[in-house]
Amino acid sequence: MRHIRLALRAAEPAGPGIRLLTLMDPDGWPLPRWRPGAHIDLHLPNGLTRAYSLCGDPAEADRWRIAVKREPGGRGGSAWLHDALAVGGELPASLPRCTFPLAEGARRHLLLAGGIGVTPFLPMAAALAGSGADHHLHLLHRGPPPLPAQLGALGDRITLHDTSGGRPDLGRLLGPSEPGTEAYCCGPPGLIEAFLAAWPAERARVEHFTPPPLPPLPDSRPFTLVLARSGRRLDLPAGAPLLPALHALGAAVESSCEGGICGACRVRWLEGPPIHRDRILRPGERETHLMACVAGCAGPRLVLDL
Amino acid sequence: MSVTPSWIGLVAHLHITARAFLPMRAMEQIELVPGEGILGDRYRIGVEEGFYSAKPEPGRQVTLFEEEALEAIRRDHGIELRPEEHRRNVTTRGVPLTHLVGRRFRLGDCLLEATRLSIPCRHIEEILEKPVFDPMINRSGLNCRVLEGGTVRLGDPIRPA
Repeated sequence: MRHIRLALRAAEPAGPGIRLLTLMDPDGWPLPRWRPGAHIDLHLPNGLTRAYSLCGDPAEADRWRIAVKREPGGRGGSAWLHDALAVGGELPASLPRCTFPLAEGARRHLLLAGGIGVTPFLPMAAALAGSGADHHLHLLHRGPPPLPAQLGALGDRITLHDTSGGRPDLGRLLGPSEPGTEAYCCGPPGLIEAFLAAWPAERARVEHFTPPPLPPLPDSRPFTLVLARSGRRLDLPAGAPLLPALHALGAAVESSCEGGICGACRVRWLEGPPIHRDRILRPGERETHLMACVAGCAGPRLVLDL
Repeated sequence: MSVTPSWIGLVAHLHITARAFLPMRAMEQIELVPGEGILGDRYRIGVEEGFYSAKPEPGRQVTLFEEEALEAIRRDHGIELRPEEHRRNVTTRGVPLTHLVGRRFRLGDCLLEATRLSIPCRHIEEILEKPVFDPMINRSGLNCRVLEGGTVRLGDPIRPA
């Protein structure tokens, strides 16, 4: 497994139920570089893997920052990071993956965050400000906002919308969608759904917190999974998930969200065609890659570059 | 039969890293320990800090890479790969690394024995966000064992033993 080891160097409260963590190499060695919009997976000792957007400054080469909101109804990931991980404690993490990159060439960038979903936008907004790009961040929150100190640094490039009295009309908030304007949304599923209804998909980028539920595969049929490099193969029944089959064949494919949003299990495909059910690959990428955690196969053979 | 050295090269860059996947750090000099590797580097035998799944590899105490391969990758593939990005310890100039498998040679005052060619790792594309895996096949450097240790400095000569 490709892991790097991180040690918690500092932790501070950063808004309601939020713990801001500073993670470093145990000896302070520089960490892999990352781009605004990137996230890491943390592998927790209770067996859970949790993805968090990096919300610090990419120029700080020796430290990563993540903001963890306590989710009382969750499965224990955020609770462990709040209560059990003490300063000096270590945990394995993935390499950073940028699944929510800024659109190069866009003239204007509209960033829409729901609550703690503001985290990827902090470095993205800083990068946009640094390059002089036209941008604005709208943060929808209920009650006290998350990360108040970090939001303060954004000056007049952010508008806070307290939704205690209801969500504002997104169409009005974002304005008309013009070519050259890219809009981004990170937040709970309801917000992303409303965003995608209010903004054209070709100029929209979204980052989910948690995987949306998968619809069943209507036209699935049995197929043979073939690994082109090792030559190994396995016959699978209709609708069988790929990840367990890949692991059974000895392929070292990482996975994290197992719901088609995090990018961990991206694999190149050679023959298919696959049935894509992820929420992360763009149309051009689907011509060569699939997300193994959710993909199926529409043909008799699915050949992967593994 | 005596063999006349047919080449002589030099040390162009030196890099180490404490752990797998972390950025390489440029050094002016490195310390080689016989039978172990480089002080502070991830592959030093006995203190491996590589993959979780990695086994110690006695033949990979020091790794070398040709500066000429960086130029070839730029020329043939249009990819700019910098000396700290190929993730080998010693970037050489004027050394036919692929010819040295099974042979001994001098790196500065140190004596190395080449064990096998390095092979690229897929993870390098992920780290660099550059499609360098295929271009690096068959020119990914050389793995060596340290027979005689010492200090290696930038500009040191590399020559047949």
